[in-house]
This record gives sequence, C-alpha cells and structure tokens, in this order.
Amino acid sequence: MGSIVLDKVQKKFGDVEVIPPLDLEINDGEFVVFVGPSGCGKSTLLRMIAGLEDLTAGKVNIDDNDVTEVSPAKRGLSMVFQSYALYPHMTVRKNIAFPMRMAKVPQDVQDAKIEAAAKSLNLADYLDRKPGQLSGGQRQRVAIGRAIVREPSAFLFDEPLSNLDAALRVGMRLEIMELHTKLKTTMIYVTHDQVEAMTMADKIVVLQAGVIEQVGSPLELYHTPRNKFVAGFIGSPKMNLIEGEEASKHDATTIGIRPEHVSVSTTEGMWKGTVGVAEHLGSDTFIHVHNTGLDTGEGDLFTVRISGDIAVSHGDTVYLTPQMDQLHKFDAQGLRIA
Amino acid sequence: MANRTIPRLLQTPAVLLLLVWMLVPLGMTLFYSFIRYVLNSTVRPEWTTPSWSNWRGFGNYEFVLNSKDFLFAIKNSLFIVGSILSLTVVLGVLIAVLINRSFPGRGIVRVLLISPFFVMPAVNAVLWINMLLDPVLGLQGIAVGAINDMAAGMQDAPLVGWFFNLWPVLEPISFRATQTSAIAVIMMVTWQWTPFAVLIFMTSLQSEDQQQKEAAVLDGASRWSQFRFLTLPHLGRPMAIVVMIQAIFHLSLYAEIEIVSRGNGNKNLPYLIGEFTNNNIGAASATGIFAVILANIVAIFLLRAVGKTLME
Ligand SMILES: Nc1ncnc2c1ncn2[C@@H]1O[C@H](COP(=O)(O)OP(=O)(O)OP(=O)(O)O)[C@@H](O)[C@H]1O
Ligand SMILES: [Mg+2]
Repeated sequence: MGSIVLDKVQKKFGDVEVIPPLDLEINDGEFVVFVGPSGCGKSTLLRMIAGLEDLTAGKVNIDDNDVTEVSPAKRGLSMVFQSYALYPHMTVRKNIAFPMRMAKVPQDVQDAKIEAAAKSLNLADYLDRKPGQLSGGQRQRVAIGRAIVREPSAFLFDEPLSNLDAALRVGMRLEIMELHTKLKTTMIYVTHDQVEAMTMADKIVVLQAGVIEQVGSPLELYHTPRNKFVAGFIGSPKMNLIEGEEASKHDATTIGIRPEHVSVSTTEGMWKGTVGVAEHLGSDTFIHVHNTGLDTGEGDLFTVRISGDIAVSHGDTVYLTPQMDQLHKFDAQGLRIA
Repeated sequence: MANRTIPRLLQTPAVLLLLVWMLVPLGMTLFYSFIRYVLNSTVRPEWTTPSWSNWRGFGNYEFVLNSKDFLFAIKNSLFIVGSILSLTVVLGVLIAVLINRSFPGRGIVRVLLISPFFVMPAVNAVLWINMLLDPVLGLQGIAVGAINDMAAGMQDAPLVGWFFNLWPVLEPISFRATQTSAIAVIMMVTWQWTPFAVLIFMTSLQSEDQQQKEAAVLDGASRWSQFRFLTLPHLGRPMAIVVMIQAIFHLSLYAEIEIVSRGNGNKNLPYLIGEFTNNNIGAASATGIFAVILANIVAIFLLRAVGKTLME
C-alpha cells in the first residue's frame, strides 16, 4: 500500500514561502513525476513527504494515517538521492544491508534479500567493492538496491539520473520503469528533464514557484495544457506562443502552436519568415525561423519541427502553415480557453 | 624518461639541502656514540676533544643499556605518548561533535577552545603545576581544602551529620612526586593538544556529506548509529593524521618533564639524553641513536595503521 495525500502543506524558510499551501493526491501504485524549473520547490516537496523537512503547516497522510509528526524512518518510504548518498566506508553488500541491519532483520533474511536485489540490479559481481570503486550507474543501482530491500510503501527519487551521461540515463530510466512494473509500488520521481517526465510518468505534477500548475497524464498535459506555463514547459522543442494581432484573430490573448504541428513550404503558406539555424537530427529537423512578423517575444523567433530532412539553409525564405485543429488558445490570465 | 630529468634537476638543491640537514647531525651523533667524549675530565683530558683515537666501540651503548633509567625511560615514553594520544583523540572527537552543531556563541566557544594550543609548552607546564595542580597553593589544594572544610562543618549537622562523618579527610595529591609526575605531564599536554585534535576533526566534520546522514535517517539509523557507522569512519583519516603528528611531537617532550619534577620519577629518552649531556656526550649520543630507533619503530607501526586508512 502506498497512497499519499498532501493536505494544505506549506513550507517557509524563515520569511520566504517556498511552498504555498498545496493539495495533492497520489494513488497507490502510481508513478508520479514532479517536474518544474530549477528552484521551484520539487526537492523541498519531496523532502517534506519523506519527513526530512518539517512542514510549516498542513498534513501529510500515508495510507490514511496522518504521518506529519512521524519520524522519517517510520514512514516506510525509501529515498534515492541525486548524489547517491552511499556510505563510502561500507562495501556494496553492507550498504544494501544497512537499513535491514538498523531494523535488526535476521542475518539469513538479510542475505537472501541482498542476493535477490543484487541479482535484479546486476550487482552480484560488485558486492564486495566499496562505492568509490564503482561507476556512476552502478552506484545509482546500489542506491536503488538499498531502497528496495526495505520494501517501502513508496519510493522517492530526487533527480536520480542527472549525474549520469545521456546513454546511461536512458538505460537507467528503463530499469526504473521496469522496476515499477515489477514491484507495483508507488513512486514519486523528481526531475527537471521533461523527457523523463513524459516517458516515465503515470501522472505528472507541474510545479512553478511552489504552486501546482497542472496535474495530469503526460498526454493530457501535452494536448490540453491548462495554462501558458504548462504549454511552454511540456514539449520539446517548446511550443510557439504568439500574442498580439495574430492571437486576437482567434479571440485569444495568446495562441500556441507546437513546432511539430506546423508545416513548412518554400513556396506558399500562411506566415512568411527567414531561416536562421536549422538543427538536423536525421530523423527530425528543427528549423528556427526569424522575422515572421508574429509577436512571439524574443525577435519574433518561431520554431518548427519536421520529420525527415528538408533542403533549406540559412537566409532562405520559408512559408509556415499551422494545423488549425492543434491551436491552443489562452486568455489574458494565461488560462486555456476551451 | 628524458622529460623527467629537468624536474629531478630542479629538485636536487632542495633534496641535497634536506639530506645535509639530516645526515650531518646523524653522522656526528653516530660518530660521538662510538667514542669516549666528555665535556670535563681532569683525569683524562684527552677525552674532552672528539677524536678517532678515543674509539670505544659499543661501549657507550652498553653503558646506556645498563644504566638504571634506560628501560624505564623507554617504557615511560611509550606510556606518556600512548596516554596523550588516546586522550586527545577521544576528547577531540567528543568536543568536535558537540560544537559542530549550531548554538548561540558558537564562534566564541570555538576560539576559546583553540586557544590552549597557542600557549608555549613551558608556560603551560608552569601554569598547570603551580596554579592548578599545586597541593597547597594551586586550585587542587584549594578545592580539596574546601571540600574537607565543608565535610567537617557538616559533621555536627542534624540528620545528615552521620553521613559526613563517614567521609575520609581528603589528601591533596602532589604532582611533583615520583609516582604522579608522569600523570601531571599527561594532563597538561592533553589539555594543550586536545584543541589541535578538535580543530582537525571539526574541519573534517564540516565536510561530512549531509545527504548520507539523511539517507541514514531514512534507513532508520539512530543518532548513535549515525555516529558509529558514518561519522567515526569519516574521521578515520584525520584521526590517523592527529596520531601521527602528535606521536612525532610527544616522543620528544622535554620542557614539561623538566618543569614538573626535573625528571624525578618521570623520564623519557630526550630527558635522559639531556641528563647525559651534562658531561657524557658519548652516552648521550648513544641514547640519541636509541631514540631514533624507537621513533622509527613507532613510525613503522603508525604508518602501517595510517596507511591502511589512507588506502581506502
Ligand atoms: N534550507 C533552505 N533554506 C532556505 N531556502 C531554501 C532551503 N532549501 C531550499 N531553499 C529554497 O527553496 C526553493 C526551492 O528549493 P528546491 O531545492 O526544492 O528546488 P528544486 O525545485 O529542487 O530545484 P532543482 O531543480 O534545482 O533541484 C529555492 O528557492 C531554494 O533557494
Ligand atoms: Mg532539487
């Protein structure tokens, strides 16, 4: 079991309110991702759930029990830290055994669990090494192993992959997702990488300055962002947000169109502009178009994503045509107009 | 390989200087230890100048080995150094952990804690033996006197008088005596060097990884377990450093021993050398060679232990 309910939780550091009162429900077995720009309070929120940070106000409930005053160890949660936080003087085996040793689990049970964890995480050959003798990916696996053996009701991950190189990150991402399918335990995962958020989450919580901007499945967030912030934050490259005259044509303050929902032609189209930088990824091409005359903020820059390749180069004139059914409209408050 | 020549050449002057600095005194000591060489002799005036013709072979060594203080000095050296090392490390860790938390006035407390280290050894010894440990005039004498007076005053009191009647009259301890002078030296040097240990341990505590602590909290580790399994291993290396440096310093203690009891009941090898130097330079040099050997044995032991922690 591992349902977590946050009831008007608030956090102040001195006079600074980092998290204004916030409500959130996390169901048992869900994979929830907290995502948001740096400094928005993701880690703080996670640490409040873990009990490492006191609440200024509000309540944390785990499985319908109020655990606000319960010590971190007794909440039955495991946390995996960005810096791995392995115990450097202990071998991998002792690291994984540590929570069980603290709980005075019998030695034979400990051995069996270490064996099982090592097997499922491919650590069997490293059990007698110290953390310092492991690669980043192996260290992260040890940290996960240490979290697993406690059989927590929920796992908390704080940017666990951001110290790994890109290839390893993709691999570990898959491993964590497999772990979730296997264990079916609630997982809360903090990241600022929206690819991680989109691929891993059952439910994404988008935070900005401690405020929840939207909660929903990855596709909900992609297709129906509740406001301008979520629209700009989810999706890569970012959604083009157009204000001014073009927006008022659609009875909105701002209209948004994702780069992948615009077609490019060298001969005709709705909007006209000059090609700036074109990023060729092989499968896709990102074209940054200047001087569109559209009010998109910085230099009327407009980004288009087309699959495959197109023969345009710097300075060429291109025509852009948006898919009208994919247009997002926002009002003066930045909220979505249905 | 060729590109290593220039760095080696550049190092040469420094290395040579160090070698000369080390080898010349060591060579002279060795030479003196094998000849008869005294400062004053009316009977054999030829012994007052060092010369090969006064060759004595291992005579000086035999003389030192047979002198009644030699074994005692070695044992006493080890006793003093060992006691100071264990006391400073234990006290140092305790104090460092205590003042590592934040409390009002922490800055001042830290400065005050470090200050004994800046007192000169001789001054330290004089202050301790005269002002603190003196059985009559020192704090010890005054405190013991006050306790005795209080007990005596309470003996006639109703109800509790019988209890104070059971108290023995306390005798202040004379720390200049044969049996206690080593204890006095251990106390004063421990007082002076604990700050050094505290300073080193404190710096190390500040570099302790907080996320490891938090992980341990989540893993259900009590405060004691966190100290035992995280902090103590983390302090392993600084402990090794504190032990090494102090061992080097305390094997050559001299001022404190001289001031407390003039070597009465409390000698170490340097003090023995000092005594021989009054006249018999040959014997003093032989003792010096023994001291070098002792220091090397201690160093090998310590280096092994330190090496082990540094390897991790
Ligand atoms: N101990 C603290 N004292 C004061 N302010 C703090 C403390 N910890 C965090 N903050 C502030 O709270 C805010 C949220 O911090 P938090 O670490 O939760 O951000 P984050 O979303 O995890 O960012 P990142 O993606 O960079 O990790 C920041 O503005 C930070 O400066
Ligand atoms: Mg963070």
